[in-house]
Amino acid sequence: MTVTATRAPRRRTEERPSLRQRHPARFFILTGLLILLLLMVAPLLVVAVNAVKSPAEYAANGPLSLPHHLYWAGIVDFWNRVDFGLKLWNSFITSLVVAVLGVVLSVFNAYALGIGRVKGRTWFLVFFLVANLLPQEVLVYPLYYLSKQIGLYDNLLAIIIIFTVVQSAFGTYLLTSVYTEFPKELLEAASIDGAGKWLSLWRVVVPVSRPTLAVLFTFFFIWTWNEFFLPLVFLISNDNQTVPVALGVLQGDRMMDATTTSASALIGIIPAMVFFLIFQRTLTRGIAAGAIK
Amino acid sequence: MAISRRGLLAGSFAMTAALALAACGDDGGSSDSTEGADAKTLTLWHYEGPTSAMGIAWTKAIEIFKAKHPGVEVKFEEKSFEQIQQNAQMILNSDSAPDILEYNKGNATAGLLSKQGLLTDLSDQVTKYGWDKKLSGSLQTTAKYDEDGIMGTGKFFGVPNYGEYVMVYYNKAMFEKYKIAVPTTLAEFTAAMDTFVKNKVTPLAVGGAEYPAQQILYELALSKADRTFIDDYQLYKNKVDFNGPVLTYAADTFADWVAKGYISKDSAGIKAEDMGVSWEQGKFPILISGSWWYGRFASEVKNFEWGTFLFPGNTLHPGSSGNLWVVPEKSKAKALAYDFIDITMSPEVQNLLGNSGGVPVAADPAAITDAKNKELIENFNKISTSDGLAFYPDWPAPGYYDVMVSGTQSLINGSKTPKAMLDEIAKPYNENLADLGK
Repeated sequence: MTVTATRAPRRRTEERPSLRQRHPARFFILTGLLILLLLMVAPLLVVAVNAVKSPAEYAANGPLSLPHHLYWAGIVDFWNRVDFGLKLWNSFITSLVVAVLGVVLSVFNAYALGIGRVKGRTWFLVFFLVANLLPQEVLVYPLYYLSKQIGLYDNLLAIIIIFTVVQSAFGTYLLTSVYTEFPKELLEAASIDGAGKWLSLWRVVVPVSRPTLAVLFTFFFIWTWNEFFLPLVFLISNDNQTVPVALGVLQGDRMMDATTTSASALIGIIPAMVFFLIFQRTLTRGIAAGAIK
Repeated sequence: MAISRRGLLAGSFAMTAALALAACGDDGGSSDSTEGADAKTLTLWHYEGPTSAMGIAWTKAIEIFKAKHPGVEVKFEEKSFEQIQQNAQMILNSDSAPDILEYNKGNATAGLLSKQGLLTDLSDQVTKYGWDKKLSGSLQTTAKYDEDGIMGTGKFFGVPNYGEYVMVYYNKAMFEKYKIAVPTTLAEFTAAMDTFVKNKVTPLAVGGAEYPAQQILYELALSKADRTFIDDYQLYKNKVDFNGPVLTYAADTFADWVAKGYISKDSAGIKAEDMGVSWEQGKFPILISGSWWYGRFASEVKNFEWGTFLFPGNTLHPGSSGNLWVVPEKSKAKALAYDFIDITMSPEVQNLLGNSGGVPVAADPAAITDAKNKELIENFNKISTSDGLAFYPDWPAPGYYDVMVSGTQSLINGSKTPKAMLDEIAKPYNENLADLGK
């Protein structure tokens, strides 16, 4: 009796290792993933650590040391110095408008090219692809000249127009290939019900492809948020600048201020990360829904 | 990597923009000292941090200006260096141009814009306000540009407020530990470094991936050079012999310093920022670099005492005027801009610049209270008044910075002999001369 009594609990404890034995690879996969995660997060961690370190401590112990006390002055100073709230608003409004307009424009284009099957659509697509591959540096001077002529130089509107076009070039390309695979039955059913082209776009095509559109929206938003070069060229006044341009203030001729740069990088990246986290689920859903059957 | 690629593209773009702008820019009209005197706003840009010596001094200058012109609104914007560097041509050719701004000195920057007629000729103002009396000859070099946009002669297109020069920073604690006196000759300097090497300490903190290594090479060249060499090398007065005694000595000695362990072989990949931090951490006793570090070291180094001396034995030192105040041709408040420049040259603002750890061009050393700042400024005045500013090794040709970086890196790695390295850096230099038709 005593023997079985002692054995019973032991067997219960043995159950867990036996589970692990069933999947010996799990442990290695987990460690591998952890190492990968650490590698991915490490630069971000270094930024975060240095953002709350005082310059003197940075000088004495280098970039990898842990701060002895949290030093928030770097972040606060930077925020006030560049009027960061305004920059956030500028970035947010530009990215939002570009994302919305970019998606709408892409839908119209893709509807015509993918479902409407207009003549010469392959050439349109090639054109959009080429426009996509063009480096922005090539576009700068013509864009500068045009925006100066119509009085939009140093104006957020210029950036909104430019990026709506740039992003929707990609959107059109992607969405067209989605729409060429669009189930004919749905469209035929709609037309039997008496829906015109306009109605079937809004009532059928857009709702069905909403997950894909959400993905496009998210990407357009983040891409526009992170744009540096064209905003740097076009947004001259400090009142018009976006977040990445404002971060440039800290890069001097020969000097860089490592702690303040880290602080600015941290508060510059947080909004994009928050946005990404919020829309992360639409992203995964959208990718799964890309294959409409 | 990303930045250098962007820089490259921006550079090539700047070339095209330059061509296009040259066509539309009107030639710099003569400046009238009363033009824009009744303007109600003064838009002013600079890219110095608010706690830097220049930032502090210029904030004061703005205050003084406001007190002097109560009816004028000063619209000050702190810009990023990169934005000004990349876009100045486009901005100054548009209606968004400020009335006055800080801009980089040099042939490729202020020189190019002056050639395109985007900057106002300040020559009359310079004599009228007497700024030329406050600026020594070698400081004026970077403020004057000829019709090809080459510095040294011609009209004034900018006014510098501050100077900069390369010196030797040393860790007093480490010098005391090995009982080394401050060297006054190059021989004593090498003896001091020998002592460090014997004690297994690498003496020099060097950033081989950026500007510091080439400045050491240039210091060594200057130890054998005279003013004629500078004029030839920087202002193209005569052809420079890259295999001549001056540069051969510099390259040989530099290679020798690497071989003897004064310069670590690892330093080829070190950036200037990391070099500065490693010196601040006391990992190296000596750092040869510019006065732009001074304020930062003063506020950040707490663990040891440090001091500076000029590169021993040299009468010529790498250095120049700082960046310039320039007045765009499109400025709507030129007279106010001149007045602002005059305020920045006043003893009050200049002395404040000195007391904040900067190197003013026209301060009274007696008015500088901090002993260390005083030493910094006195050293500068010594160099400046004896016409000892030799500019920087990468100035003579566009893109020469990268040539010098890879040249010095190959010396540190030992991948090239000094002679091969000199031949390598001679090529782009001579190509540029050919382009200029010299």
